[in-house]
Amino acid sequence: MKLLAKKDVPELLQAWSQRYEVLSPGTTEQADCIFGAFSRDSFTLSYRKPPMPPKAALLPPSQVIFTIENGRYADAASAGRTLLFGIRACDAMGILQAKSFFQRDGSDSYVSRRSDESVIIVNACSGPQNETCFCTTMHSGPYADRGFDLQLYDMGETFLVEEGSARGAELTGSQFFFAIGDAEAAGRIRTFRQKAQKAIPSVPEVARAMNILKAGPSCDSVWERLGKKCIMCGGCAYVCPTCTCFTVADRVHTAMNGQRIRSWDACLFSGFTREASGHNPRPTQASRLKRRHEHKLLYYNKIDTQAMVCGCVGCGRCSDYCPVHIGTLEVVKSIAEQVGQ
Amino acid sequence: MTNSICEFEDADLFLVTGSNTTAQHPLIGSRIINAVERGAKLILIDPREIPLAAFAELHLRQNIGTDIAVLNGLMNVIIEENLYDRQFVADRTEGFEALKAAVSRYTPAVVEMITGISAADLTRAARMYARADKAMLAYAMGITQHITGTDNVKACANIAMLTGHVGRPSTGVNPLRGQNNVQGACDMGGLPGVFSGYQPVSDEAARKKFERAWGVEGLPAQAGLTLGGMLEAGRKGALKALYVMGENPRISDPNLGSVDLALSSLDLLIVQDIFMSETAALADVVLPAACFAEKGGTYTNTERRVQLTQRAVTAPGQARADWEIIADLCRRCGLEAPYTHPGQIMEEIRSVTPSYGGITHERLSKTYGLQWPCPNREHPGTAFLHSAQFTRGKGSFQPSDFTPQGEATDQDFPFTLTTGRIYCQFHTGTMSRRVDLLEREAPEPLVEIHPEDAAKLGIRKNDLVEVSSRRGSIRLKADVTTRVPRKVLFTTFHFHEAQVNLLTNPACDRTSGIPELKECAAAIRRCP
Repeated sequence: MKLLAKKDVPELLQAWSQRYEVLSPGTTEQADCIFGAFSRDSFTLSYRKPPMPPKAALLPPSQVIFTIENGRYADAASAGRTLLFGIRACDAMGILQAKSFFQRDGSDSYVSRRSDESVIIVNACSGPQNETCFCTTMHSGPYADRGFDLQLYDMGETFLVEEGSARGAELTGSQFFFAIGDAEAAGRIRTFRQKAQKAIPSVPEVARAMNILKAGPSCDSVWERLGKKCIMCGGCAYVCPTCTCFTVADRVHTAMNGQRIRSWDACLFSGFTREASGHNPRPTQASRLKRRHEHKLLYYNKIDTQAMVCGCVGCGRCSDYCPVHIGTLEVVKSIAEQVGQ
Repeated sequence: MTNSICEFEDADLFLVTGSNTTAQHPLIGSRIINAVERGAKLILIDPREIPLAAFAELHLRQNIGTDIAVLNGLMNVIIEENLYDRQFVADRTEGFEALKAAVSRYTPAVVEMITGISAADLTRAARMYARADKAMLAYAMGITQHITGTDNVKACANIAMLTGHVGRPSTGVNPLRGQNNVQGACDMGGLPGVFSGYQPVSDEAARKKFERAWGVEGLPAQAGLTLGGMLEAGRKGALKALYVMGENPRISDPNLGSVDLALSSLDLLIVQDIFMSETAALADVVLPAACFAEKGGTYTNTERRVQLTQRAVTAPGQARADWEIIADLCRRCGLEAPYTHPGQIMEEIRSVTPSYGGITHERLSKTYGLQWPCPNREHPGTAFLHSAQFTRGKGSFQPSDFTPQGEATDQDFPFTLTTGRIYCQFHTGTMSRRVDLLEREAPEPLVEIHPEDAAKLGIRKNDLVEVSSRRGSIRLKADVTTRVPRKVLFTTFHFHEAQVNLLTNPACDRTSGIPELKECAAAIRRCP
């Protein structure tokens, strides 16, 4: 096991920037915390759950995948060696789920060329980041048990560093890391984990809602009520670590010149399922909300969820950011209360 | 807006009229929904069954163009039943007796005949609005785009003053502005008769101040032309040159046939835009402008909040920021334009605009913006207006009478055509129609027609129909829906494929010059 002094972290990230595109927490001029390109000026270690999950490192919000110039095809999707420093365990699980989805039925080369060489360094949570965290319920946190190269445990002035892969072990070879006895480190990590686990309350309505959905009583009254107020912004999908739906569009500049773009999509948009005839199998916002939440809570794929509880990692962002409060927490509570009784 | 956006969270009652809030101002609409879910009441006055109707305690579906009768009717009930705020009226307003006399004719029975709103619903709405503690009135183009637009707005102000529903948190009159910077454009004097901060050109002291600041003499004391007035002058040959920035009148203005005539009659048409719009295609000179991400500067939003943006990417090709183009043009005309950064322009704005007096780029960079009035560098900005007094001192009641719409329906044109916007497209589509996802969501123009009308005319959903008015006709698909009342057609002006403004009536409000885009007489038939 290794130790890393917090005061050395900026220097370390500066050094890693030679080999990687380092993404790390930083502070904006307005004192908000965002996750972005490392810069010594804005870097911070006192940060909470950033607004966006790190999925853009694998699947950019919008990406040119190929171009046609004078009738000739050219692959344009970028490769990347990203180092994600300090992401949370729920987000690491989100990346695992997303990667697994993109490797099923043939590998998505645009994702794999950005993710295969990337490094994930998790900063284990010592407690909830805010009141919507429910990773303990979903078994995705507060610390990661897989899906990381290094995991940091906050010990005050230092981080205890757990190695999760050969690539991670190689990264701790530099002068910034100090060795520490394995037995002592394991004890301290155990204590950290136990305290953190206890600090994040569980949400029993998740299991209850999943069981209700599985048992099959109609939850239409819930979907109708929520569907009426959904403003169709798609924000819940954009902030979700496991939402990976994309759309593909061609931008034709001239007859022999253009680009193919793929960009984030959301299943709450009506055009997502509209067929060429105009028929839409999910014709109302209520039916689209039902599909979205059933996809997370009922129709998740066991392979893609990495043996987790379901398709949701419990980061709570949809509850943080939905302007009309239709996050997973509100949905499971509505189902448990309205239908469960 | 006299209030701030976040104040929608705490109101007890909303009176929303002429605004499809969830579609056009979704972050205000969502606050209304949240407030209703925790117990606030919503009164909606709108002919169409817009999404907010599902949250309304009362949905009053007035006949199009009868807003003044509705508002006068509400005020009449409030006065008759002694529900008005006597203290506020006495201390803060003048002209109450004239208002009382003017609205006394609008009894619930009379209003029911004019507007189609039942006397019982009108009375209930009046009582609810008057008795609420914190009531917010919100309106948008459904109030303004009529030949009586100015009077409609005054009627909204009258009812808020009558009930004392203005000048407090979560209590006020809130016109919802339709673009990120339309408030800023007006604040900067982008109107025919004012300098920045609404200082009238007719005021000699204001003229002298700007003459000194700009080092010029003889600034005109007369208001200039409105957009409609410019086009009319163009048609008559009185206007020789027109410089259009970020506007697309060849799609957005009423009676498009005459717009083309006006533009082609000019000696010189200059268009400054980020894309080759329909209007730019007619221009003698096109000045390519930088888009929002390619320039720095400020925007002033609907809650009077001035917000700073930084350049994120370099503008392509010859495109430049609007201020750079205008400054360069000034220099070539022999004027001084000593600007190298938008922060310097903000300093000039500050020096001549009292309400912006304390707004600097430095302050803006450390905050989420400042709301005017912000008269000095120590001032924190103003969340809501008119707390102690109105701009002119006492609020002046300015009653007006209902007058019928500009163009009556008849046997040949039996429908009232009203126009508006949808969630996934923006204005004339110069920007939103280039976004793949938005284009997938809303790829084609549709005209809404009530199922009973559709059945009579043999029109089914998605049938191609022809909609015509006395000025032209367009073809588009039908959306058969009870969202619209009987004898009303609704469509949008987003799509160049079916330009509804070929049909609309160019009649204008006599004060503001805003065209009557919300109503004209029309006919519809199924295309064979």
